[in-house]
Amino acid sequence: MTITKQKVKETIYQPLEKGEPVICLQDVAVAYQANVAIFDINLDVYPGECLGIVGPNASGKTTLLKTILGALKPIQGSVQIFGDKFSPKTSHMIRSKISYIPQLQAIDRNFPALVEDVVAMGRYSKAGLFRPLNSEDWEKIYEALEAVGMKKLAKRPIGHLSGGQQQKVMIARALANEPEILLLDEPTTALDFKMVRSVVDLVKKLHEERELTIVIVSHDIKLLREYCTRIAAMDKKIVWKGDPHDPDLDIIIEEIFLR
Amino acid sequence: MTDFLHFFNALRKYAFLQRALVSAVVVGIICSLIGVFILLRRMVFLGQGIAHSAFAGAALGLLLGIDPLLTILLFSVFSAISIGYVEEKKLVESEVMIGVIFSFFMALAILFIGMMEVYSTDVISILFGNILIITQERLILFLIFSAMILLLLFMIKKELFFMTFDIELAEVSGVPVRFLTYLFLVMVSVTISVSLRAIGAILVFAMIITPAAAAYQWTYHLNRMMILSVFFGVFSAVFGLYLSYTFDLPSGSTIVSAVTAIFVISFLFSPKRMASKRTIQECPYCKDYLLEGEECQRPECIAAGILHRHIDHEISIDKKHLPKKKPTKHDH
Repeated sequence: MTITKQKVKETIYQPLEKGEPVICLQDVAVAYQANVAIFDINLDVYPGECLGIVGPNASGKTTLLKTILGALKPIQGSVQIFGDKFSPKTSHMIRSKISYIPQLQAIDRNFPALVEDVVAMGRYSKAGLFRPLNSEDWEKIYEALEAVGMKKLAKRPIGHLSGGQQQKVMIARALANEPEILLLDEPTTALDFKMVRSVVDLVKKLHEERELTIVIVSHDIKLLREYCTRIAAMDKKIVWKGDPHDPDLDIIIEEIFLR
Repeated sequence: MTDFLHFFNALRKYAFLQRALVSAVVVGIICSLIGVFILLRRMVFLGQGIAHSAFAGAALGLLLGIDPLLTILLFSVFSAISIGYVEEKKLVESEVMIGVIFSFFMALAILFIGMMEVYSTDVISILFGNILIITQERLILFLIFSAMILLLLFMIKKELFFMTFDIELAEVSGVPVRFLTYLFLVMVSVTISVSLRAIGAILVFAMIITPAAAAYQWTYHLNRMMILSVFFGVFSAVFGLYLSYTFDLPSGSTIVSAVTAIFVISFLFSPKRMASKRTIQECPYCKDYLLEGEECQRPECIAAGILHRHIDHEISIDKKHLPKKKPTKHDH
């Protein structure tokens, strides 16, 4: 019996049942060569929730995000996104549903890219290798720019924007991929107070309006408490999970940050 | 002027000059396009390393009496891939590795030349380049390789661009970064190998990096940068050929001198360098971004501005249209 391509597709793209987690990590450990960065990670993220991951520097927060993205392979345990493990067959489908917004890095002032070009990068995985973007892609790109209020600056060089504006462009880049899950790595680092509000309000608006599942990594517990529906505290492993307003969280935070 | 006319007449007459012109144009195109991505990915010294290993390949080919193009390709692709591998595995700093490979291949080249029983003039022509002695078969081969590189480059352009912007982000977004990096390295080595005859091992690298560096001074747009780079590359290649033919000078050095002059002019008059560090303005009332010299045209922002100047008794303004945040500075 031959298995048709369609059949393979169907088995891969099985829709999740309601209430099943979109991200499911079981007993995950990740190491850089001999150094174990994170271990004993058991984490479920449910559709539509906004999960905050808090922890001090070098507690493995970014490593965790990269593991979810499939960029790092766990040495132990399993990572399932939409019920699928990363494999050559599924990775394209998974990546077209997850968008990642990395920690803001300094962009060369003279780099030859306009704001719209950077947002267009978010469409590349949808367009596929070797294929140029079409008019529908550009429509989505401009929709994403509109959603973050940056349409007016579409033709500006990316290096000319302030840090907060660049962060919004990166969010637009993530949205252009039309994701179901948004992963944000320290979205407010290096921004001034006003810009932090503006960026975080934008993320909150997207969460509510688009019912996106969001995972935010930050060391700013105040911010996470204000915006997240659930919080996980980590220090190489997940030490606590629960309601953002649980008083236990204060004790945990004190413990992991002052250790 | 008469020199120009003389050059054009000669172009019509001599097939060797026509071949030289075609190869100059094609070298100008492929080198300057590849150069854009080398510059943006900051792999500048990599090209230098590859060019020297290509020269060692040429020397070996001449020593063994086989077609140098074969050994050139072999050596340059090998060195490009080994540099790429070392860089990927972070075994040593890539600059250190390039430095080591660079000197080793130069030593090999000198060794091979020393082992030759008869001193070949081909060595000099590969080292310094001579665009005027390209044969018909060589030109056809050159055109085929160049077409392949151009086609590939346009196919992977958007991914290469993403990788120059943020390689880690490209990787997690599903771009096959590893495959494309090696593919690009092979493309660079093939470009250098086929351009060697025209420009020479020592100067080929200038043809790759200088047009792109000049174009970088003028624009913030990748496509425009690529077009400008090609324009600079082709112009200097053709102009260099003209100088080379007319004044009987080595083609490699005339071409590189022309492109360097373009770079110096671009650098001096670069709008990027001259531009002050402008940041994006925003409306003090609604916080919308404003383009340069633009004023916010929203009725409520205009009204807020008017109110601020304390002449609000002259016009009526609906309070609900006013922004929540009132202006803080008074100008009376």
